[in-house]
Amino acid sequence: MLIPVGYVVATAVGLGWNELAPLVFRPRVGELLTNTVLLLVIGVPATIALGVGGAWLVERTDLPARRFFSVLLVAPLAIPAFVSSYGWASAIPSINGLWGGVLVSTLAYFPLVYLPALATIRGLDPALEESARSLGLGPWAVFARVILPQLRLAILGGGLIVAMHLLAEYGAFAFIRFDTFTTAIVVAYQSTFAGPSAASLGVVLAALCLVLLVVEAGARGRARYARVGAGSPHPPVLARLGRARPVAVAALVALGIASTVVPLTNVVRWLGAADASALTELPAAITQTVLLASGGALGAILVALPVAWLAARHPGRVSRALEAPYYLASSLPAIIVALALVTVTLQFVPAIYQTVVTVMAAYVVIFLPRALVPLRAGIAQVPESLEEAARSLGSSPLITRLRVTAPLIMPAMAAGAALVALGAANELTATLLLAPTGTRTLATQFWSAASAIDYPGAAPSAVLLVLLSIPAVALMFSHARGGRIR
Amino acid sequence: MRRRRTILSIAPIALAAVVLSGCAAGGAEGAAGEAEVSEDALVVYNAQHEQLTEEWVEAFTEETGIEVVLRHGSDSELANQLVAEGDASQADVFLTENSPAMSLVENAGLFAPVDEATLALVPEQYRPSSGLWTGIAARSTVFVYNPELLDESELPTSLTELADPSWKGRWGAAPGGADFQAIVSAVLELTGTQATQTWLDGMHENAEIYQNNIATMKAVNAGEVPGGVIYHYYWYRDQDGTRENSANTKLHYFGNGDPGAFVSVSGGGVLKAGAHQDEAQQFLAFLAGEQGQTILGEGYSFEYPVSSGIPAKAPLPALDTLNAPLVDPSTLNGPEVIDLMTNAGLL
Amino acid sequence: MILSVSGVSKTFGRTPVLDDISLEVPQGSRTAIVGASGSGKSTLLRLIAGFERPDTGRILLGDRALAAPGSSVPAHRRGIGYVAQDGALFPHLTVADNIAFGLPRGRSRAGRVREVMQLAALDPALADRLPHQLSGGQQQRVALARALAPRPGVILLDEPFSALDTGLREQTRRAVIDALERTGTTAVLVTHDQEEALSFGDAIGVMVDGRLAQAGDPAAVFDAPSSAQIAAFLGPALLLPARAHDGVAECALGAVAVRHDLSDGATSVVAMVRPAQVRVDVEAADPSAIVHAVRSIGAMAEVSLLAGGSDPVVVDLAVPLHGLGALRPGSRVALRIEGGAVLYPAEGLQAGDLAPHAVKAG
Repeated sequence: MLIPVGYVVATAVGLGWNELAPLVFRPRVGELLTNTVLLLVIGVPATIALGVGGAWLVERTDLPARRFFSVLLVAPLAIPAFVSSYGWASAIPSINGLWGGVLVSTLAYFPLVYLPALATIRGLDPALEESARSLGLGPWAVFARVILPQLRLAILGGGLIVAMHLLAEYGAFAFIRFDTFTTAIVVAYQSTFAGPSAASLGVVLAALCLVLLVVEAGARGRARYARVGAGSPHPPVLARLGRARPVAVAALVALGIASTVVPLTNVVRWLGAADASALTELPAAITQTVLLASGGALGAILVALPVAWLAARHPGRVSRALEAPYYLASSLPAIIVALALVTVTLQFVPAIYQTVVTVMAAYVVIFLPRALVPLRAGIAQVPESLEEAARSLGSSPLITRLRVTAPLIMPAMAAGAALVALGAANELTATLLLAPTGTRTLATQFWSAASAIDYPGAAPSAVLLVLLSIPAVALMFSHARGGRIR
Repeated sequence: MRRRRTILSIAPIALAAVVLSGCAAGGAEGAAGEAEVSEDALVVYNAQHEQLTEEWVEAFTEETGIEVVLRHGSDSELANQLVAEGDASQADVFLTENSPAMSLVENAGLFAPVDEATLALVPEQYRPSSGLWTGIAARSTVFVYNPELLDESELPTSLTELADPSWKGRWGAAPGGADFQAIVSAVLELTGTQATQTWLDGMHENAEIYQNNIATMKAVNAGEVPGGVIYHYYWYRDQDGTRENSANTKLHYFGNGDPGAFVSVSGGGVLKAGAHQDEAQQFLAFLAGEQGQTILGEGYSFEYPVSSGIPAKAPLPALDTLNAPLVDPSTLNGPEVIDLMTNAGLL
Repeated sequence: MILSVSGVSKTFGRTPVLDDISLEVPQGSRTAIVGASGSGKSTLLRLIAGFERPDTGRILLGDRALAAPGSSVPAHRRGIGYVAQDGALFPHLTVADNIAFGLPRGRSRAGRVREVMQLAALDPALADRLPHQLSGGQQQRVALARALAPRPGVILLDEPFSALDTGLREQTRRAVIDALERTGTTAVLVTHDQEEALSFGDAIGVMVDGRLAQAGDPAAVFDAPSSAQIAAFLGPALLLPARAHDGVAECALGAVAVRHDLSDGATSVVAMVRPAQVRVDVEAADPSAIVHAVRSIGAMAEVSLLAGGSDPVVVDLAVPLHGLGALRPGSRVALRIEGGAVLYPAEGLQAGDLAPHAVKAG
């Protein structure tokens, strides 16, 4: 976990201040910093507004077709951000810069806030809202003063994940000519491989991630995990939208069109123009994608389990200190993680250089928080009294974990694994750099065609990536809607 | 109640997912075995266009029965990777689009000398005097422009002109790519460090930045920007195909030995640490030979053949009519170009 | 096998939770530990179960050391059953699977499950239900059945009835006591409910601030609580400043015979009388109290009296409605105390512990 962070630090130290300073304090870094910070400052609140607003509308209001909209809002998760960006770029070729970046990334990532918000709202006791109504609050006031404060953890957690994604995203921004630290690092990498300018940008980016983590920890304060209550003992009374109802419907329809319909119709349009010869390499790419992604998911779950356990059962300074590097490492762009692993494996364990082992290790580093967050919540929700009961019945600690805890955290594990697999299937830079020579995944296939503006050639891989993502997204969705214990 | 049933209904799915991923971990090892270089296969680190190299490889394997696996990347990326890997590298052959990346690997002392017979096929101006690698193809710098936005009379006479304030926001390029970096290396070779830095500063002010040559051409075609600096074959390929990204554009050749008329040499070399020296030399000979060059002259690529007397694909103007500046491919300095471009804020 | 706890102490961080606890639970007996919340009673149970380790002291089951300095048998090897406050049923397992959880695999398993279900008065039709489909009382009986199934040497019950409604609580408690009795299982119950503790079984222990303040036969403990605080904790008590001489205590209720003198020769003493000991005589010739208020509460009436001379104290009694007779606010009555008082030192008692004085009307 510490390898990528250590790599960045070691490179920076190796360069020395005199060489590092001019690389860090130059106008280009200023431009990138401005772009990246603006992206965060605009993009994160936008995803929170869409995610929380959407979850409230589909759960607690008299919106028509709520079930349909609740699915529509999670659908963008099945469309990789770079596919969505490719859809938009081919629909409106002139789309570019900050606003293009904000548009594409907000539309791609708001479900990362929507899902935890949905889960939390569903777990809220409607009695609280009813009490507030009886105290004279209108529906909007109930939302603002009762629901919103209880969503704090979901918002912070989701917002942090979105922010990390924005920091690490490459493909989506490369299509629309929006430069962030990560795109600049990739360009620097293509120009110099593991050169000093990539590493110096990595230092600034790592510092930015650290600031985010500190800000989030500060905002979270003492609160740890969203305590999910006993669930709704009776169905909630739905807030009446009144005249705002058509506006809400129109807004959600527009959001659905922008986030799902535009990318998908463009992908499908190009698919129609695709050359049959583009399909011959797909079966191998599908197999390799599925195997790499599920292997990465398994690895991430295995590594996340003990850490999540510690964080849920023994929250404290030690477990927080242990968690921090995971978040820090995973917020570094995949390219830095990959460069770190290349450097370290070449120098110390050449036997695993350019093997599946290294790719898996990279996936674990990059996607660990995706497994950690649901697992931690899942473990926190298993009452310790159940484990004690099992032990008083003669089960050893290990048997207890297997017979009691494991089945109960299975939904959380599956959701975490799905998230990791989804990320790994869409991963590009680390896969390119670390995979054994000759490896082809759907993402790399897509990328090599799409970056040559061969839109039809990229379409089959894009469609397959979306199709492969659907089961994972469905699993996460049902977990958010109902996967909790007692 | 319903909620709890949902959990239970998820459990088997989840279990299946975990079991599957368990199998996958095993499977991934298997896939690795599959994907991993079979012992006899020739490993080519390929920075050339994937499609072109795949055409070459297919013909080569058919001819010799030697299997080839490709690792794709960009010029500098793979060159630096080879340097980092050193003797641990599995690479046998390195192919690039431009020569600075070849020089980088050559200077690290990683190349084995190319067979004399192969070198003999290639005219001297398209290969370094060291004989440690050889040119296998060439491409010319061009200015692509949109006649609706830029009158013929307004066309720049020299690449250096594009740094003038009058060109602000009126041309595009892809400085992140090895192609443009090779062009800059020619500017550096022809005009010197000081002038190049000044020119790059001007470019930082003036140019619209695109991801690559195709994106630049597409933007010119769409009227987003009046002109752009690219390599010739992107335009000819698109013209030969759908014309989707070039129908509204024309090409302007700088000529006159201008840096903007720079002809870049794509290189091929044999890594001395590679396990398949003979096969690697065979592959290089194949590329420089009649068959390999014919693929350039007749295939989809529209890059210029450089050896064995094979003519360029019609309607390309002949390479020797372009009045390119005289630049020794082995003297182009990649790392200094990167430094200058970093200073200018282009990287 | 005797369960014996000797000299056990436990500290969480810097907070002492248990202080030198010693306790013996004979085989087949039932012991209730009662204490206010935070008194350490649940911690004691968790130490016996093996979920925590004591800092000092030993816990023995028969001659087997479960916990001793430097060694501790893990919970799952102790053979001690445990029923948690909320039952802690495994939500992913049916009733039958929950009960069978601690049983070794084998043919006798299903039979034993049926057996203990019957023992815990559970309808066999519930066997295939999931925990959330059961009522609270049923859940607790399943938890008991599950704990009984492996035939543990001792069973520990941690406030198992506290989450149940009043009616259900009584019914479930009877079913549990019945099942324990029939199996002859040694049991330790912790509770904050005095009545529950006093009615549970053979012995009671009272915990105050991490110490086992008193232990013994429930009737004996209730008859002679070792301190005024324990007396008040175990049930309604009137604590009245008194002067003692010759086996008689002079207090606001007049001269009361002393049943137990636990004042240890203190100069300043209080007399403890249970309201149930007070008889009201309406027609007495020598009235010593005046009825202040009468409030009907169902079958009983709460009668508030002012007793004693110039500085009267308030005495609240529950009188059966039919026995109320002519009691009205303002009635003058005589009070007789049946069974005598227990004397304690007055030292250490706060004004609020004592029976309140009447507020003098202007």
